[in-house]
Amino acid sequence: MRICCGLTNHLELARRPDLYGNPVVVGHWEEHVVALSEEAMPFGVTPGMALRQAEHLCPQATFLPPDPEAAAHLRELISSALYDLAPTVEVRLEGIAWLDVSGVPKPGESIREARRRLKTAIGREPRLGLAPGPFSARLAAARARPGRLVQVDKARAFLAPLSLHELPLDAEQLERLDLLGLRTLGAVAAMGPRELESQLGRAGRHAVLLARGLEPDELTPWRPPLFTSAHRQFESTVEDREALLFVARALCSDLAEELGLRGAGAKNIRVRLFFEDGSQERRNSFVRHPLSSAAELFGLIGSWIKEWQPHAPITELWIELPVLESAGRRQLRLWAGGDGNGEEVAAALERLQERHGDEVVYMPRPHLLSSPLPSQRFA
Amino acid sequence: MQEMPLDGAINSIRVRFGSQALTRAAELPPPQPWPSRTPIDRLTGIGGLPRGRLTLLTGSGTCGKSTLALLLLAGATREFAHAMVIDTNSGFDPWTLLPFYPELSALTVVRAPAPEIAGEATATLAKAGAGFILLMGEIPEHWLGPLESGANRSGTVMVGVIDAPGRAFAHASSFSVGLSRTDWIWERGQLVGLRASARCVKNRVAPPLGETELEIRYPLGAKPLFDHQVHLTDVSSLKELECVSAVV
Repeated sequence: MRICCGLTNHLELARRPDLYGNPVVVGHWEEHVVALSEEAMPFGVTPGMALRQAEHLCPQATFLPPDPEAAAHLRELISSALYDLAPTVEVRLEGIAWLDVSGVPKPGESIREARRRLKTAIGREPRLGLAPGPFSARLAAARARPGRLVQVDKARAFLAPLSLHELPLDAEQLERLDLLGLRTLGAVAAMGPRELESQLGRAGRHAVLLARGLEPDELTPWRPPLFTSAHRQFESTVEDREALLFVARALCSDLAEELGLRGAGAKNIRVRLFFEDGSQERRNSFVRHPLSSAAELFGLIGSWIKEWQPHAPITELWIELPVLESAGRRQLRLWAGGDGNGEEVAAALERLQERHGDEVVYMPRPHLLSSPLPSQRFA
Repeated sequence: MQEMPLDGAINSIRVRFGSQALTRAAELPPPQPWPSRTPIDRLTGIGGLPRGRLTLLTGSGTCGKSTLALLLLAGATREFAHAMVIDTNSGFDPWTLLPFYPELSALTVVRAPAPEIAGEATATLAKAGAGFILLMGEIPEHWLGPLESGANRSGTVMVGVIDAPGRAFAHASSFSVGLSRTDWIWERGQLVGLRASARCVKNRVAPPLGETELEIRYPLGAKPLFDHQVHLTDVSSLKELECVSAVV
């Protein structure tokens, strides 16, 4: 396994690139420090300390309230930007981006491109590390200069001289290890996992595995959001149903094309109409089989629009597919006529059930054919 | 003299609404047949039931039209991925289909409690591309247009079974067969079947051909109906009839 790690600022700091080069501390008053810039560290400020204490230590710093939503949005943007470089990508708010480049045809190019994209997103050169696992890759990156890569082949040898404080342990556990005379990761690695587990519990065993470079932690792969939508804002208000159907058909085609590229289907379909007076109406439905083609989507949405009675002229049409999943392509029954339309027929039957009740459609399956009672013969 | 204004009108319609807006009947491609392997194929003139069109089996009670329709339905379940029954009066029992050895996994019954639902279901399924639709009753007139256009596009084979079709329903069909019972078949004092004459009363896919006689045996005893399936008793009885319905 080869993991590339890119270290940047905490994503809370990346919201204000104009403050780069100055001490910046992010956190709520009466609470703890969430993030701080490198320039604030020499003053003794550390993440997790009380903000009042941080202010006392570094009064010249700029203090910002955290914005978790903006940071999470930035994380999504970075993840999606890195997603096509490696199959497994994980980005954390702390400013850590991992890419699993195992099996990637040209890992060097992927790493160079990742560096370029991280710089574009954050505004600063990332530090890069390449190692057999996420833990050693992060530590390697921390020892690289901005824009440079530190490559580690033998994780255990690389980790051995490093300080004990690199391990993800709390202060009490670290103090305990210090009392045991363990100062470096090499010393921890020399101990047996069970021995340290008896001292620190499960964290002790985990620490030994990390120190030995065995990388017990796996990346949590980021996946694209399972949501898509298409909308059209009309230049002038629309009152004609045919025009609305025309636009809906075009939007369905766009969505079907996107679904086809992603190999996805939609089980939840939502349509929203925005009116001239600012109000909106919506219709939402769940279907049993994921819809993926334009005909399937428009078959459902077109039937809604045909019977919709809007109370005012329409200014905007939204079609949203909030939950995407695998389209689940099935094997065609090649010798059965018309099986290519199977999904459309199934969608048509579902629409009938939705409109008139489940009992409208009946698929007889043999149950007790010899029963004298007709109701028992078929399930 | 009348052709000139007519051509002009046709041209103006095509210019305004597109070349596909209006097509002469003579220019339409002939419907593709679905060979049902029943004597009805011979009556259509194209060797099978027309795809994308409505076929009607009409006649008063106990003339054999339902049995013939079940035979067609069972064959369709074996050949098509989706064979639908639009049950307008909740009278369809899948058990009656078993003597014809159907492929039940392909069978779907739509129980329509109202004609409006039956019309919607038929038009929707025809448009979606179901292989075969058996209509057990009439549907409202305003659903016939969507039904025809949907089936035309998808090539769905549609068969309607009805005692006496209304004017609109009869007009929407492309091929109609009128069945009438001519005799009961008795063996050893037991009623085992019937003889019926099948007469082509309308044909829009080929010149109207004529009539034939069918012998329909009911599934009695250990021998299933499939072994006595509908067959032509006298091929030589085919004869030309007068044209009841012209090609529209």
